[in-house]
Amino acid sequence: MTAIISLLFWLLAVPFCIGLIPANFISADKRSPGIVMLSGYFGMWALFEISAVPAVLWVEYNNFKVASAVFTALALLGAAAGVWLLYRNEKAGRPGLLVGMWAEGGRRQKEKGAKRFFRGTGIEWLLFFVLLGFQLYKAVAFASFDGDDAYYVVESLIAQEAGVMYRILPLTGGSTGLDVRHAMAVFPMWVAFVSVRSGVHATIVSHVVMPLVLIPLTYLLYYEIGRALFVGCVQDGERRADMGGSLRRAGGDVFRRENLPVFMVIMAMFQIFGNVSLYTNETFFLTRTWQGKAVVGALVIPALFWLFLRIYDKGVKRGRTDAGLWIVLVSINMTAGVCSSISVFLVCILIAAATFCLAVAERDWKILFKMGAACIPNVIYMAVYVFMAYSYLLK
Amino acid sequence: MWGIFLESVVIFKNYMGYHENHFLAGLYLLTLLYLWLTEKDRRRRVLFVYAPTLILFLFFCPLFRKVFVRLMEDSETYYRLLWLLQMSIVSAYGLIRLMGKHRRIGLAIACLAIAACGDYVYDSEHISQAQNAYHLPQEAVDIVDMIEPEEGRITVLVPADLIYYVRQYSTDIELPYGREMLIARWDYYNAMYEAMEEAEVIDTPAFVELTREYPCAYVVLKQDRAVREPLTDYGYSVYGQVGEYVVYKDMTLQDS
Repeated sequence: MTAIISLLFWLLAVPFCIGLIPANFISADKRSPGIVMLSGYFGMWALFEISAVPAVLWVEYNNFKVASAVFTALALLGAAAGVWLLYRNEKAGRPGLLVGMWAEGGRRQKEKGAKRFFRGTGIEWLLFFVLLGFQLYKAVAFASFDGDDAYYVVESLIAQEAGVMYRILPLTGGSTGLDVRHAMAVFPMWVAFVSVRSGVHATIVSHVVMPLVLIPLTYLLYYEIGRALFVGCVQDGERRADMGGSLRRAGGDVFRRENLPVFMVIMAMFQIFGNVSLYTNETFFLTRTWQGKAVVGALVIPALFWLFLRIYDKGVKRGRTDAGLWIVLVSINMTAGVCSSISVFLVCILIAAATFCLAVAERDWKILFKMGAACIPNVIYMAVYVFMAYSYLLK
Repeated sequence: MWGIFLESVVIFKNYMGYHENHFLAGLYLLTLLYLWLTEKDRRRRVLFVYAPTLILFLFFCPLFRKVFVRLMEDSETYYRLLWLLQMSIVSAYGLIRLMGKHRRIGLAIACLAIAACGDYVYDSEHISQAQNAYHLPQEAVDIVDMIEPEEGRITVLVPADLIYYVRQYSTDIELPYGREMLIARWDYYNAMYEAMEEAEVIDTPAFVELTREYPCAYVVLKQDRAVREPLTDYGYSVYGQVGEYVVYKDMTLQDS
């Protein structure tokens, strides 16, 4: 029972409360509990990177215990700050941080919106939840073998049992020098942190708890992408949001809330049938959900799509008004480093490609500088990586 | 440069599973083409048309591949660049645009197309019914439970089938070699591995000498593993059996 409470606290309550911080700086019409949770997770992983990477690189003894203590303090501080912002907003009578888009339209509108949410799309939503439930069932009741677990899962277990990070060779148990490439991607250490706090064996957390958290979280992100694509966004005055209801655009059928569950079903089908090879991000998502690189393919990269849809949905010139989304973008970039070293480079390529195309399309070259600034954490990460990997040349 | 380009083509084909007659990539590329022709929204065009096309161009560009591999010092992960395409999101958006008002029939056709062009992930030979909460083979768990020391760590020699799992259950068990020996392309050499896995029949005297160098407190062998002379003739005793695995304990270590 204590384990379940602890898991709920660290995997639900803490990230949600941390997510209230960027939500405070996101315009009310874009807020939702889903955005709060997603922002919170990315913010929490960014805090974990700040806590764990320096400890891995520069603390010799009990580095996991040091990182855990620092992360606990930062995460709780962040969660408390989020709760305080929520309280301050409620007290001031401003649109709620959780459901700003409903709060603006009033309680009646919210109730109406909730009822209308499923109207006419019940079958599609039902189909989606069946597919989601099926994936969760498979994740819990079936074991997926992956050779990399002998490295990543054992790293988590070593941290849990011995309190050290990346100082023991996971494959055999011998002592080892620092393998910078793997050591800076501290996702297994976050799994270890959850294991220690909950008292659950790290292998169970990896293989059972993580899929139960990361699969719904990924679909929550797809839901938000779908919402950005099909529901309630305003662009260039061409479309008009009907709060809680459908959104129409002259001459087009795509911008309808009815398309949201269709999008979710297609996404779920793609995950289930995306195993065309061992290498696709869909295969990684369902067969090695708990590994950092799977999180990159399923969560981090799609999150950039979501942010590109949201940050500039009011036009490039007005994009900076949503400071909270820029905070989330920086957090996503930092999360990439938590998940895998190579993904830091990958997200930079995606951001550079999309920003370059956007700058050309909008004829606004300032975007390049803004997006470049959001990638500073990636540059720092790569600089530290290069320094640590080649520092032996200076000796 | 032409050779590097052809390598990228092979990586792309392997990623998309062309050789196994999977055509999700075809579905994706058709959707991308459709979006090229029909998407009017500037910013969505950037995200769903221009950026994926540019990434595809970069993927096949030999110069880019050279830079990528040099920076990453790893050519095996180049396929991950294709993750940036996010086939599912782009395809889903394109398909929904294509179906227009015919939402339900369109969804049914889209689902059929995905199932026909793709491959069902849970059919994979790597996925099986979980035997316990750890999602590890029960035999690995039972063997470790049998030999795990109350305090400290011990070295144990186990067959290749168990190498992946033993330390996922307990890090108090150390191994003479690990997974690195099972990946042929990594090309490592380990005398203990050669004696244990590569020899058709285990040469007991040399084998025992090697195990005592570590020293291995226990040796786990498959019941039908061919051995020149029984380990029990060399100071080992049968400690227990779990399924097809026989656990031998080195009694000389206990004596010392």
